[in-house]
Amino acid sequence: MAEVLYPDLPAGGPLLLRSLVRVGGRPRRVSALPPTVVRVRGHRQDVARLARYDEVCGYTLRDAVSPTWIHVLTFGLQLALMSQRDFPFGLAGLVHVSNDMTLLAPIHVADPLDLSVRASGLAPHRRGATFDLLGEAQVDGQVVWQGRSTYLARGVAVPGEPEPRMRAKDPGVRDSQAWRLPADLGRRYAAVSGDVNPIHLSALAARAFGFPSMIVHGMWTHARALAALEGRLGTTYRVAVDFTKPIPLPGRVGFAAQEDGDGIRFAVRSRSGTACLLGDVTHP
Amino acid sequence: MTERTAVIVGGNRIPFVKAGGAYAQASSIAMLSAALDGLVARFGLAGTTIGEVVAGAVLKHSRDINLTREAVLGSALSPHTPACDLQQACGTGLEAVIYAANKIRLGQADTAIAGGVDSASDAPIVVGEGLRRALLRANRSRTLPQRLAALSSLRPADLMPVPPAVVEPRTGLSMGESQALTNARWEISREAQDELALTSHQRLADAWDSGFFDDLVTPYLKVTRDGLLRPDTTLEKLAKLKPVFGGAHGTMTAGNSTALTDGAAVVLLADRGYADAHHWPALASVVDAQVAATDYVTGEEDLLLAPTRALPVLLERQGMTLADFDVIEIHEAFAGTVLATLAAWEKSGLGTVDRAKLNVLGSSLAAGHPFAATGGRIVATTAKRLHQCGPGSRGLISICAAGGIGVVAILEGC
Repeated sequence: MAEVLYPDLPAGGPLLLRSLVRVGGRPRRVSALPPTVVRVRGHRQDVARLARYDEVCGYTLRDAVSPTWIHVLTFGLQLALMSQRDFPFGLAGLVHVSNDMTLLAPIHVADPLDLSVRASGLAPHRRGATFDLLGEAQVDGQVVWQGRSTYLARGVAVPGEPEPRMRAKDPGVRDSQAWRLPADLGRRYAAVSGDVNPIHLSALAARAFGFPSMIVHGMWTHARALAALEGRLGTTYRVAVDFTKPIPLPGRVGFAAQEDGDGIRFAVRSRSGTACLLGDVTHP
Repeated sequence: MTERTAVIVGGNRIPFVKAGGAYAQASSIAMLSAALDGLVARFGLAGTTIGEVVAGAVLKHSRDINLTREAVLGSALSPHTPACDLQQACGTGLEAVIYAANKIRLGQADTAIAGGVDSASDAPIVVGEGLRRALLRANRSRTLPQRLAALSSLRPADLMPVPPAVVEPRTGLSMGESQALTNARWEISREAQDELALTSHQRLADAWDSGFFDDLVTPYLKVTRDGLLRPDTTLEKLAKLKPVFGGAHGTMTAGNSTALTDGAAVVLLADRGYADAHHWPALASVVDAQVAATDYVTGEEDLLLAPTRALPVLLERQGMTLADFDVIEIHEAFAGTVLATLAAWEKSGLGTVDRAKLNVLGSSLAAGHPFAATGGRIVATTAKRLHQCGPGSRGLISICAAGGIGVVAILEGC
């Protein structure tokens, strides 16, 4: 298995921009994903960046970090993997459709992290193909976090028939919170996450990519929802979300959550009641 | 040690007025001082060292770290009177009375003054995070270039001030929007809310006309009566108002919701023996109190119905039921809050409140609601009413607060 070891987390911005402009030359039919693992060892978390991340997402700045923060740390590795010469998908046109993370043990800001990302799970989809980027974080050789980001590559054909996916269920209760999303939220989240995809940064750029307006990062919405449940998550848990609709900026959305014996189901909804994100927290 | 009893000797407040009105130029310290001055004058406390003065404000300036002590130092009370700031959102005033009563009962003080103040007119305006952080960075800098670098990070948007918002930080919902959810859940009708608001205005107007507040209120800045009181309002007038919360089909209006208000209220407490020895009146004793909180953040429970959790604990401890009370005061944050509280008490088996005993002298819908001052207003009003009812009469006070907090207390007439 090919392994690419980076001395520290690659900066997301340049990789992302390069990936966006590299549109041509990608195959329209894909039958396999490269087995490459991209890796960083002993990453030291940046407290100032964590503080900015927590603030923009609504988390309390704590030593025990959130699983979405670890996702953000692996985002540069995701881009590095996708910018490998043999990787069949370019970032332009990719849609982040779902995310699934498990916090296996509490992770603290002082923990040096071994982080890795690899691709897996190539599957046909009715609108193209999906694949997973599998992330892993280790502390002292122990796996403490696992993540799976599922991306949809539109218009790409892979062998096989699409299978129906299980989606997170709506909590079935009315909104209990209202969030106002300012126009600069995408720029603020981009600054802390490294995800500088232009569709989040300016209305003009978003229109150029086919969106009627700027949209907020799906992973911001995910993090904000998890922050809203802070205090009832426990120390280890699994959280899975489906990004069902883009959320325009600026905007206002509602948040609903319902706790039952299996865990917590939650939704972020538009003003008209359409689910933009559905998720659940479970304790496997 | 002999059994000590904390009694309410009396109270004083300034008339409450709508924010931006007659008290627009008055700071929280000024209004608290005015309430305190009136109390000092009424009970001849000039030069007296009070055991402790405890008060608070919900909308509090960072410069007012010692709000209460500063008001004491500006008053005629002995400068040896210590003070303490206490804050529990709209529960502040009642919690201050409980704090004072507990100290008296424990023998840590013979006398105390408790209350609160709020100015929605003079609310703190906060500078934006960008400006605040740049200024803090510049302040930490040791050299001029460092300082300039810190300030050069400023963008024009950073200079915009951030106005205060009465919004729950964890839900993003204003108190009115939260109450609208509660009204929907408990099916509280517009008509019932308007009726409750009308009754509040009528009863407060009657109380003013009968002179009930003559020894409870001191005029301030040419204001002699509560400015929000509408003695001539009618159900027809209330029915015409447009909904302000809960959307176009909402049931909450400016008529059945409290307005942003300026005001201050304080209460004088003493040990029963001390009061008797100094020939001070005793209106009512503070029997017991309970605070509780609801799990409202993700909508499991209602933001303003924490008294539903507090009351059963208090009644159980005292071996009492709702039927044992002669006077029941439920703070009218919104008419819907009172109606939902009654419905929730009924549903949880605590019994039905006799509406003839409820808020008999009007409450916050008519008087206004300067957040931290409301507790002092209600305690003084209830204590005087219980004194009129006679020794052994019982009063229940229930106040809801931001953050899903609720405070309930029992007073007994002397």
